[in-house]
Amino acid sequence: MSLTKITRLPSARLLSSIIQQQQLFLLPPITPVMTVSKRSMLQGEYRRPGQPKEDKFPWEKIKFDFAKGLEGIKKHFTLLKTECFERFVGPEGRPLTVHILEQNRVIWEFRGPESLEQWTVSSDREIGGQSEVYLKLGKNNTCFLYGTLSSTPPRDGETRYSGYCTMRSKQLLASFDRKKHHDWTSFNCLHLRVRGDGRPWMINIAGENYFSYRKDDIYNYFLHTRGGPYWQDVKIPFSKFFLTNRGRILDDQYYLWLDKINTIGFTLGDKTDGPFQLEIDFIGVCKDHAHTEEFAYEMNKKNP
Amino acid sequence: MKSVRCLLHLQCLRLLDQSARSAAQCAPLLQSSSSSQPSVLHKTQHQLLRQFHSSPAWSKSQPTPADDHKKDKSLVTNDDLFEQVAKDVKVKATFNKVVDVFLNRDVRRRGHVEFIYAALKKMPEFGVERDLAVYNKLLDVFPKEVFVPRNAVQRMFNHYPRQQECGVQLLEQMEEYGVMPNVETKVLLVQIFGKKAHPIRKYQRMMYWMPKFKHVNPFPVPLQLPEDPVDVARFGLARIANDLDAKVTVYQLPCTDITETGEEITIPHVVGIQSPSQMELLAKHNPNKPVFVEGPFPLWLRQTCVHYYVLRADPPEEKVEEPYDPERSLYYPLRLDVDFGRDLGDEENFDVEDLDEGPVFAMCMTGRGDQATLNQWISGLQENNPMLGQVPTLFRVNAGPQELSASADAESGHAHRPDTETRSEEKLQRDGEPGVIVEEEPQRRQGRNQ
Repeated sequence: MSLTKITRLPSARLLSSIIQQQQLFLLPPITPVMTVSKRSMLQGEYRRPGQPKEDKFPWEKIKFDFAKGLEGIKKHFTLLKTECFERFVGPEGRPLTVHILEQNRVIWEFRGPESLEQWTVSSDREIGGQSEVYLKLGKNNTCFLYGTLSSTPPRDGETRYSGYCTMRSKQLLASFDRKKHHDWTSFNCLHLRVRGDGRPWMINIAGENYFSYRKDDIYNYFLHTRGGPYWQDVKIPFSKFFLTNRGRILDDQYYLWLDKINTIGFTLGDKTDGPFQLEIDFIGVCKDHAHTEEFAYEMNKKNP
Repeated sequence: MKSVRCLLHLQCLRLLDQSARSAAQCAPLLQSSSSSQPSVLHKTQHQLLRQFHSSPAWSKSQPTPADDHKKDKSLVTNDDLFEQVAKDVKVKATFNKVVDVFLNRDVRRRGHVEFIYAALKKMPEFGVERDLAVYNKLLDVFPKEVFVPRNAVQRMFNHYPRQQECGVQLLEQMEEYGVMPNVETKVLLVQIFGKKAHPIRKYQRMMYWMPKFKHVNPFPVPLQLPEDPVDVARFGLARIANDLDAKVTVYQLPCTDITETGEEITIPHVVGIQSPSQMELLAKHNPNKPVFVEGPFPLWLRQTCVHYYVLRADPPEEKVEEPYDPERSLYYPLRLDVDFGRDLGDEENFDVEDLDEGPVFAMCMTGRGDQATLNQWISGLQENNPMLGQVPTLFRVNAGPQELSASADAESGHAHRPDTETRSEEKLQRDGEPGVIVEEEPQRRQGRNQ
């Protein structure tokens, strides 16, 4: 084939004539790619070793139901209505005098089964552990959290520690599932009335973060219970809470921003196997004028 | 290429000769000298060893004959070392001996990372998991100065990552068991990994946070609880009573008798606590209403769980306002009728419905939670509280040790069994016969008391 002939060929054929030789080698590696299941194309969540594979498309997990839709419409429009009209009463639906003058506020009070619906419980069962946790109404209509802690790590070859039980409040939602936050800027202390069995717990407060890599940033402090038949009033200043990420204390500490609080949680993980119980009467916030500390820890730069 | 390798080979052989001689000379010195005062010999030795590491081709081609008989293909050789050396007694001395055996086995300390991981895993078995000296000794297994980065590139990248990970792991185990590192740990870490390595960072973090939270518990429990159950009960009761005036009384000491027939009778301990305010409450109790002995309720003191019983009553239906007695305290007025001009915003109390659970009169701990033992406690209480003789006492005691940990509320609680089936069964049983309720005639108990 002379040079002129080649140039007269259409460009596509020109390319194929060159590649033709190599295609034989290229083809075998291409075929396995074609046979890879389509599931791998979808980015799923991390699946722990030993967990069965769920062979479903993401849209197959959603329930499309007419009754559910009606219910949703009803719920969201009532929420929207209250949102619109509570502004005429005052900020957050309370009169202005109350809003300005309040020194303390009860955030969660446990007085009936509907108060338990704002909470979720979870344990290390989710990572393959053996702890159990249950939530129910106590004898005096208080929140009664109980279960068994077991610190045996799951035999999956990569988990080294295990053994936690936790209760966490649900995210506040406004109409149409928009996020709503607690605003505690006018308070500086967390006040709880609890009755435990002598075990140390941890209080976790999660605030709203802009960046997604900080979604696991949580502020923590300890809740030591006395045990015994008497209730225990615990007051913890917000300045004492320290910043952690996935259970590790961060080097860059900063105080908790109280204007957007998402959830509060209680975690038990004291490496002691056995049953536990915790009763909570109420969770509130209060203003302590004697407490002026902004942050209890140093806010130094990391690795100077 | 080949000639270079040959040259290296030759050089190494010569070095081997020298180092073997010097190693033989200073081996006893090396083992005896501690890391905190490294001798000159020590240093030269390491320098020589470094030369060895720099020529992997040689070490691959010619294994040292000394290592041949020790070579074991198994991955768990270090576990085996612990099993071999410390066969029966697993104490601190044998643990140290195992570490010494490892140190003496090889000058190069080959496989020290694996050995440290194995040792960390074995520590709770030997009961040394809270011993700082043992941790320092384990850190000493790392060869010194080999892993210190020596130029900018090494410092920039993770220098000897496996070894650093191992060091961090050791420090993390210390943290997990609540052991504070000391200066010796720091010196060792700096000698091993250099000043800015990851283990040093971990050490700095530990030294910053651990002292902050060391005494954070307002209700401290000693690390070693007393052996005697009476002492444990005394401690636990004083903790839950939350009253400095409360008085602990030992109603019965534990002892073991052997009768003529050869049966062993163990008498459990009965330890109770009562405060003056509780006595006052009990004295005011309406004699027509029964009082209850409830329990057992769990109380955790670090790793141990003890159980206590409570003497209580139902909340009174009508609240009787106590007439104010101005002469109760002559030192300061008990009530001030002064209006300090409290504002609307000065409300300090929480707007919560009050829980009324009824008064608690006394608490006790026993070795055996049956009714006879608890009767001992009630009759003992009667000496100071004559009111108890007139009040009917009901026992709401959950029988059976498996339900000991069951619940705080005797009626509605159900035990936490792993599977739901047994739980529902137990609940059914409990609903059928709610506890052991026995009514006591006051006369009978009085008669026994006299």
